[in-house]
Amino acid sequence: MDAVEQTMDAEKLTQLAEQHQEPEWLIKKRVAAFQQMELLKYPKVLRFNYRNWQMASNQLDWTESNVKLVKSDLADTHLLQLGQTTISVNLPTKLADQGVILTDLFTAVNDYPELVHQYLMTQAIPTDDNYLASYHAAFLTSGIFLYVPANVEMDEPIKLEILQDSTQTSDFNTHTLIVAGENTKFSVIQQMNTVGNQDNLANALVEVIAKENSHVSISALDQLGENTRAYLQRRASVARNATVNWSIGMMNEGDTVGNFETTLSEDGAQANAKVVAITKGNQRVGINTGIKNVGKHTAGDILQRGVILDQSQLVFNGIGDIIHGAAGSESEQENRILMMSNEAHGNANPILLIDENDVLAGHAASVGQVDQTQLYYLMSRGLSQATAEHLVIRGFLGAVLTAIPSKVVRQKLISIIERKLADGHEDK
Amino acid sequence: MATLEIKDLHVAVTDEETQHAKEILKGVNLTMKTGEIHAIMGPNGTGKSTLSETIMGAAAYQVTQGDILLNGESIVDMPVDERARKGLFLGMQYPAEIQGVTNAEFLRAAMNAKRADDDQISVMQFLKELDKNLDLLDMSEEMTERYLNEGFSGGEKKRNEILQLMMIKPSFALLDEIDSGLDIDALKVVSKGVNAMRGDNFGSLIITHYQRLLNYIVPDVVHIMMDGRIVKTGDAQLAKTLEREGYAGIRDDLDLDVALVDEN
Repeated sequence: MDAVEQTMDAEKLTQLAEQHQEPEWLIKKRVAAFQQMELLKYPKVLRFNYRNWQMASNQLDWTESNVKLVKSDLADTHLLQLGQTTISVNLPTKLADQGVILTDLFTAVNDYPELVHQYLMTQAIPTDDNYLASYHAAFLTSGIFLYVPANVEMDEPIKLEILQDSTQTSDFNTHTLIVAGENTKFSVIQQMNTVGNQDNLANALVEVIAKENSHVSISALDQLGENTRAYLQRRASVARNATVNWSIGMMNEGDTVGNFETTLSEDGAQANAKVVAITKGNQRVGINTGIKNVGKHTAGDILQRGVILDQSQLVFNGIGDIIHGAAGSESEQENRILMMSNEAHGNANPILLIDENDVLAGHAASVGQVDQTQLYYLMSRGLSQATAEHLVIRGFLGAVLTAIPSKVVRQKLISIIERKLADGHEDK
Repeated sequence: MATLEIKDLHVAVTDEETQHAKEILKGVNLTMKTGEIHAIMGPNGTGKSTLSETIMGAAAYQVTQGDILLNGESIVDMPVDERARKGLFLGMQYPAEIQGVTNAEFLRAAMNAKRADDDQISVMQFLKELDKNLDLLDMSEEMTERYLNEGFSGGEKKRNEILQLMMIKPSFALLDEIDSGLDIDALKVVSKGVNAMRGDNFGSLIITHYQRLLNYIVPDVVHIMMDGRIVKTGDAQLAKTLEREGYAGIRDDLDLDVALVDEN
């Protein structure tokens, strides 16, 4: 975004990675991804045209962030990063003793090379998945590695807090790699915010490798800033009898593409994905949420709810993909958008790709306005129109909110929603 | 003492498809004060619900002539919520269901809506009031933690309307067919709630088809409405006469030229 035109090539990329003390395999991975880019396309988000968005730069700068800018938002955060700088890592000794690894990704690359090499963009999101994934691999700036060895169960969630440093111009390609060993059970809360107001890109990927009989629940609270154009890709690969549950609050202020997919790779795997989004101002947000049934007797459930204000645009695509051979599988989805403004645009598209007969699949989708009967009822008891609308919206989002396992995340999400609604109405 | 005056009220409803406005109320006059219970009876399609919805301020009803005064102040241009805060309450025939908002949370918001920001009801005070009224209406505490009217039976919804009435304490309650779909036990409970509200600071306009409800809530004044007008006003005895003679009898006594919808 600087006025100065910069170029990038394999040689320069290699030099930058060497400066950063990266192992040879990672440098090769970057270069290969960089060379793949020109062959790949942006991920397709049906009914959402973002072809003209600039979503990638050709710079890789190693920058330091001023850690004094940061105050952690979550109590007892386990890992806190600002831009490329890791501010704190606090893994309880009890977990470390059981072999749990929580560290920034570049430390992991050197300290646990076999593990990272095995899982980083190989299984859940391969580097050639799409243009923005390969860009991510080539220009990776920061990340987190969480490894939970077999049979470890945790009572408390692991809290990860990632802050984009927009006090300066800097690219932000952050990668969270989570490996859940066999028979593990744990949850992760990931919160992402922006500090500062500079125009910047964000490209944040999350990979979850859920091994046999593991149970992983991920809550994500995305609150990137107004001047951040973001690409968020989250994907889980779920093995035999394992479960991955996502709760994603898309509360970003800027234009965003969300690309969420869970692959039920082996028999008996399960996933559900709950997504809540609010858009306002001139914001444009397109979201694919998909679950792919590959193994037999797998079950996927997608639930998306969005509220659109002002002149904003929101597209929800629910993608249920059952491949041939995934007999006895289930694929359910519900995508609903509530229009709070006549100038807002919403699309809720159920997409079912079913190549197997012995399955159960269902879908529901709607884009509608606030129920006038509900509004009248509430107002007839003396509630102001604004208060009544908030309650109707809360009720609309209730189906997703009440399903979020963590009370902390739920409360936070409700307060963010209230704030956004208040702001959105003032804009009118 | 509060007053509610309806003066020569004409109300039209526009058909959404044809855009044709149809006049439903054709000059209604009615004055009531707190301390009084009025009943409006009348055959189907005569404008009883239109009257209560218009007083409350539902958007679909256009006042084409006349006025509605609450304590001498015209309310026809006031939004619904403001009318409610000034002391009107409409117990609805079909209350809306709202998922994700608990009954208790809604009740508190409604009670606080009329109160000043620095005079919001305390949790203790609220719970005390709530317990007392739940008890009187024979409702379980669990009902208050359920989402507003969601999955409630017809009878539960009606009870919940009366619970709101008792918590909000309006000056005037318009009760639109609060007896429809109620068995005799539920009818008694609902009546008990309304009777508990009776007093110098409360008035009610009860809309009903049947005299039965008026055995439990004895009205001070009974109005009979036909074809968009009040055609006869009397005391509680009038409801009994009506029960004997039917609407056709009243019509013929008064020599009115009115077609009754359900007449054979």
